[in-house]
Amino acid sequence: MTGGIVVEVTDLRKEYPPDIKAVDGVSFSIRSGQIFSMLGPNGAGKTTTVEILEGLRSPTSGTARIFGIDVSKDYSPMRDKVGVLPQNFEPFDELKPWEALQYWAGLYDRAMSRKEINGLLETVTLSDRMNSISKKLSGGEKRKLGIALSLVNNPELLFLDEPTTGLDPKARRDIWHLIHEISKKGTTVFLTTHYLDEAERLADDVAILHKGKIVATGSPRELVTRYGKMTVVVLTGAGTEALREIRRRGIEATEEDGDVLVPVKDPGEMRVVFQKLSGIDLKVTDMYTRRQTLEDVFLDLIGSKMEEGVLRP
Amino acid sequence: MSRILSDIIGFGKQYLRSKVGAFFGFIFPILLVLLFGAIFTTGGDQKVTLPVQNLDDGPYSEAFMENLTSTGLVKIEEIPRDADLTDYIEDESLTVALLIPSDFSERVQAIIDDNATGFATVTLYADMSQASTYGTAQAAVETAAVNMSFSLSQTRPVVLPAPPQSIKEGFEYMDFFLPGVVGITVMTNSLFSMSSLCGEYRQRNYFKLLATTKLRKYEWLVSKFLFYSIILLASLLTTFAVAKLAFGIHATLTPLALVMIPAGAFVFVSMGMLLGVVVKDPESSVAIANAIGFPMMFLSGSFFPISSFPGFLQGVATVMPLTYFNNGLRDTMVYGNSVSTLMNLGVIIVLGAVFFVLASKLMSWKER
Repeated sequence: MTGGIVVEVTDLRKEYPPDIKAVDGVSFSIRSGQIFSMLGPNGAGKTTTVEILEGLRSPTSGTARIFGIDVSKDYSPMRDKVGVLPQNFEPFDELKPWEALQYWAGLYDRAMSRKEINGLLETVTLSDRMNSISKKLSGGEKRKLGIALSLVNNPELLFLDEPTTGLDPKARRDIWHLIHEISKKGTTVFLTTHYLDEAERLADDVAILHKGKIVATGSPRELVTRYGKMTVVVLTGAGTEALREIRRRGIEATEEDGDVLVPVKDPGEMRVVFQKLSGIDLKVTDMYTRRQTLEDVFLDLIGSKMEEGVLRP
Repeated sequence: MSRILSDIIGFGKQYLRSKVGAFFGFIFPILLVLLFGAIFTTGGDQKVTLPVQNLDDGPYSEAFMENLTSTGLVKIEEIPRDADLTDYIEDESLTVALLIPSDFSERVQAIIDDNATGFATVTLYADMSQASTYGTAQAAVETAAVNMSFSLSQTRPVVLPAPPQSIKEGFEYMDFFLPGVVGITVMTNSLFSMSSLCGEYRQRNYFKLLATTKLRKYEWLVSKFLFYSIILLASLLTTFAVAKLAFGIHATLTPLALVMIPAGAFVFVSMGMLLGVVVKDPESSVAIANAIGFPMMFLSGSFFPISSFPGFLQGVATVMPLTYFNNGLRDTMVYGNSVSTLMNLGVIIVLGAVFFVLASKLMSWKER
């Protein structure tokens, strides 16, 4: 369920001398209860944008409002309503998770009962590690503890800056589940990520950021519909020879890791493509169709693939 | 206030669980006390200032003073005759002083004329922890006595130093050394810890993390000052208790000594913060803290008397906060000189305030 506007950003700019434009005229809004994902490679301006919204950086120009209040003015009234998991979060090594929560709650003028602490640790599935020294937690557990810390003040808006970067697949899925659970309770989530599947799976709305500018925004489905070609015929192991032959027949296609990908817009086009392909002696190990994903949209919009936040040609 | 308390408790648990913190807070000063107490002896041959109270009107005391000067080991300063020597030593916080009694010449003459037996004596009062000063002064007095005896009699000793007296009755080496140990402990814990802590907090984005809470920057600074004050007071009490048990010290744990500890924590915590703020790279800030802290440890009179240093090093010592801390603590714990303690305390608080204001102005938890 989503409601009124919680975050509203208009023509936001952040420049550094001599001529670096970290954020270059970004505008977007987030409704209450949404999971909003800002997606982009390293250096796109995601963290700069989110840190402006967290009150940790000042914008060069433009406005950013949270709950209707300009973040470049006094941020202190927002501290009770906002939770933050910063990028590359590391817990305080020598504190146990329950102690860390107790400590952090104190910094929000809150006294958490042991029951409340247990409840929060249960939410982030750290109950069985509550008495372990934080430095002994795994990477995923540390990140969960970071999320728990960001929740001690029961925030209405939660900023998660690359919460799954560097984690193994299982830990990533655990964090995704956790974000879903938090969102279900009505918390608005602002998620930055460079994982396309993460944004696609979690976000209600996505803004793709590249070189400080938003190049596309909308729900993952809208983006795929608007920018993608809906369906791709995958000819597994067809290779370069087949690609050349397919293109000679006037079919648009690309090669990816030895597979040939043929995008089709609708079933009518698919029939035509299959007719043309049937005349070619293709040596394939498999053939199937798949829907296009945000990854394909990203590739089309940016012209590069993204691996661990780095753009690849 | 509750946020400061939360930060003190949260940080305190981390500090006490890190073995480095516990070592420098408690084990390090105890080791110093036990180690130096066991092995520290006399030494040193620097020319030192020797205040002399000459109560004698006769020619032989003048001759003795000339002999003293001719040793080349001491520079004589006269103590007024009408001064009470004990009070004067306390008021001036002297580490060494020589008393020539009023009947010195009369007694020397009597021995030469064979009208008396024994010797004419002078008495050296000394702070025995200041081994170099004490040793040099003692050597000068003994040399002067031998030279004078030889020139007057050539066959038998005429002048002999009386057994040296501690400048405070009943006080021993450890009484004078303990304030130096406490000074080093306060400095190492506050200065080194804070400079490395600031570096670590910046490197691990803890400042940014704290900035997302309601904790204000000044509250964090105050919490660190309060935490180190508490830890160092506990450290002082522990070290004092160990020194009392092991060496039966006579130094007093005065209320002013207890005030000196938070003042010392204030100046060195602020100084460490300033270093951690000014030097952005964590490893460099630790290296610079070491570069400042270690010379300060040795040049501020913790181990060696400042009076035995060359002139320019004595000048350097006057700009070091630890000098004032050591002097203040020694003044109150050993000499019972409250006025001098308060003056040193004032210097420390002013320096601490300057460092604190600079650190809090320059420290930024946010990105620009």
